[in-house]
Amino acid sequence: MGEPFVTARGLRKVFHSRGRDVTALDDVSFTLARGETLGLVGPSGSGKSTLARVLMRLIEPDAGAISIDGEDWLALRGRALRQRRGAIQMVFQEPLAAFNPRATIGGALDDPLRIHGIADRADRAERPRRIAELLERVGLPAGFAQRAVHEVSGGQRQRVAIARALATRPALIVLDEAVSALDVSVRGTILELLADVQKSDGIAYVFVSHDLAVVRVIAHRVAIMDAGRIVETGPTPGVIADPQSAMGRALVAAVPRLDFGRDDGA
Amino acid sequence: MRRFALRFLRSPEGMVGLVLLACLVAMALLAPFVFPRDPLSIVGRPLIAPFTDASLPLGTDRLGRDVLAGLMHGARASLLVGVFAALVAVAVGTVVGTVAGFAGGLIDEALMRVVDAFQVVPAFLLALAFVSVTGPSLPVIVFAVALGAWTGPARLARAEVLSIRERDYVAAARAIGMHPAEIAFKEVLPNALPPVLALVSVIVASAVLIEAALSFLNLGDPNIVTWGSMIAEGRNVLRTAPFLSIVPGFGLVLTVLGVYLFGEGLVEAMAHRRGRQ
Ligand SMILES: Nc1ncnc2c1ncn2[C@@H]1O[C@H](COP(=O)(O)OP(=O)(O)OP(=O)(O)O)[C@@H](O)[C@H]1O
Ligand SMILES: [Mg+2]
Repeated sequence: MGEPFVTARGLRKVFHSRGRDVTALDDVSFTLARGETLGLVGPSGSGKSTLARVLMRLIEPDAGAISIDGEDWLALRGRALRQRRGAIQMVFQEPLAAFNPRATIGGALDDPLRIHGIADRADRAERPRRIAELLERVGLPAGFAQRAVHEVSGGQRQRVAIARALATRPALIVLDEAVSALDVSVRGTILELLADVQKSDGIAYVFVSHDLAVVRVIAHRVAIMDAGRIVETGPTPGVIADPQSAMGRALVAAVPRLDFGRDDGA
Repeated sequence: MRRFALRFLRSPEGMVGLVLLACLVAMALLAPFVFPRDPLSIVGRPLIAPFTDASLPLGTDRLGRDVLAGLMHGARASLLVGVFAALVAVAVGTVVGTVAGFAGGLIDEALMRVVDAFQVVPAFLLALAFVSVTGPSLPVIVFAVALGAWTGPARLARAEVLSIRERDYVAAARAIGMHPAEIAFKEVLPNALPPVLALVSVIVASAVLIEAALSFLNLGDPNIVTWGSMIAEGRNVLRTAPFLSIVPGFGLVLTVLGVYLFGEGLVEAMAHRRGRQ
């Protein structure tokens, strides 16, 4: 799928809490091409969220390097970093917690548009139009802009979160358990939406999940994490059909549907 | 919001507090219309007892000034000092607490040591020292009272901010490239405010009392009537005309009680609302 868009090398992160050291990331390396989805799977506490947040520059790693589009992503500071953040966006697990409790949907979508100066060339009247476009993009009526975020359903809220992530026209979206908190019925439609967006805009995803069944649907490649390390990585169908690592085998075994359905070609 | 108001009105404390405060505000607002003359001017014989002269229902003081006029105009001073001191204290405290909690590290350490320094000095001494140095006037008194009251809001706001800054929506704001100052003041501060607002009633009540105590010590604004100065005046004839001290004293007690009960009602209604979410 072309040359790597994201390259991470030797990422390491140790948390110090109550006198104990927890190695959340231990020599983690991976690459990601434009328009590709990397599924990040592993048991609870294996460091998936930490890796997601390090990628987002929400947590600083202790060691390692990340290059994005050939640029040293970890060297950016202050204003330069804030400007470049538009290229990488994030969708969180709990859509309710990911929005200011006082925010309206329109306000939440307006922030990234305003900050990145998208659509405010000369006239601010452009922004409501962009907000309506974004809402339509994720399958919500434009009238939702006036509603408070806490007034809509969980699935709708996650659509708003995706719309917010799309507002800055990113090249990569990091999704940390983005469908785990949703009903199974809603989950499928959100995954479809993500696939559609990827197809039309060529956005790359890092899709974090503890559930291989979900990852199988959306990821081109998977990386399996265990205790802060990536223990196995490869094309999704291959890894699911024949996991090499102990953790890979355990995860595949934990989802019985995979054993039966692995020949149906996801 | 309407449900919130209903719940507030249904709590007995809130209702009583609201009525008392409404009376106080009405007194303060109506004072210049009912008694357009300067309440410090002499209107009759000195020391008329209350309820003996229909035109001077609460009688006169040692100099022949109308006690009812003083009471009503005095409500203005108490209310002004109480409300503005609380506003200043909450505004300064919340901003300092937010900056300390959000910035962390050295800035947090430095700001919290300043808070400690202000907190070890009793609020009244702080106000006393400040007013005796700068000279008494209403704005100075407001500031002097706020000086001893902003540390509570600062501590509460900081504690709240420390928990809020770990929430996902703050991470989301960083992820879209929002400036840290905008995150602190637009995303974090408004959500840290509710518990701080619960302090307002206590601050207003103590501000009213501190103002009265300053006036009692002759450190109030000399150009206006205040309840504290009326009590100080009445003290000279406490045996022969106790009502001169009792009337404004009553005003003080009811005001503090009203503010306190009103605050209790608000906190209770707020607790219900939080519980529901
Ligand atoms: N801020 C922190 N302070 C201290 N330890 C932390 C912190 N964040 C994460 N950890 C620890 O780092 C390890 C990895 O955590 P992380 O959240 O990345 O795991 P995860 O794979 O996302 O798990 P889950 O599936 O439960 O979300 C865990 O042991 C966790 O306790
Ligand atoms: Mg996680």
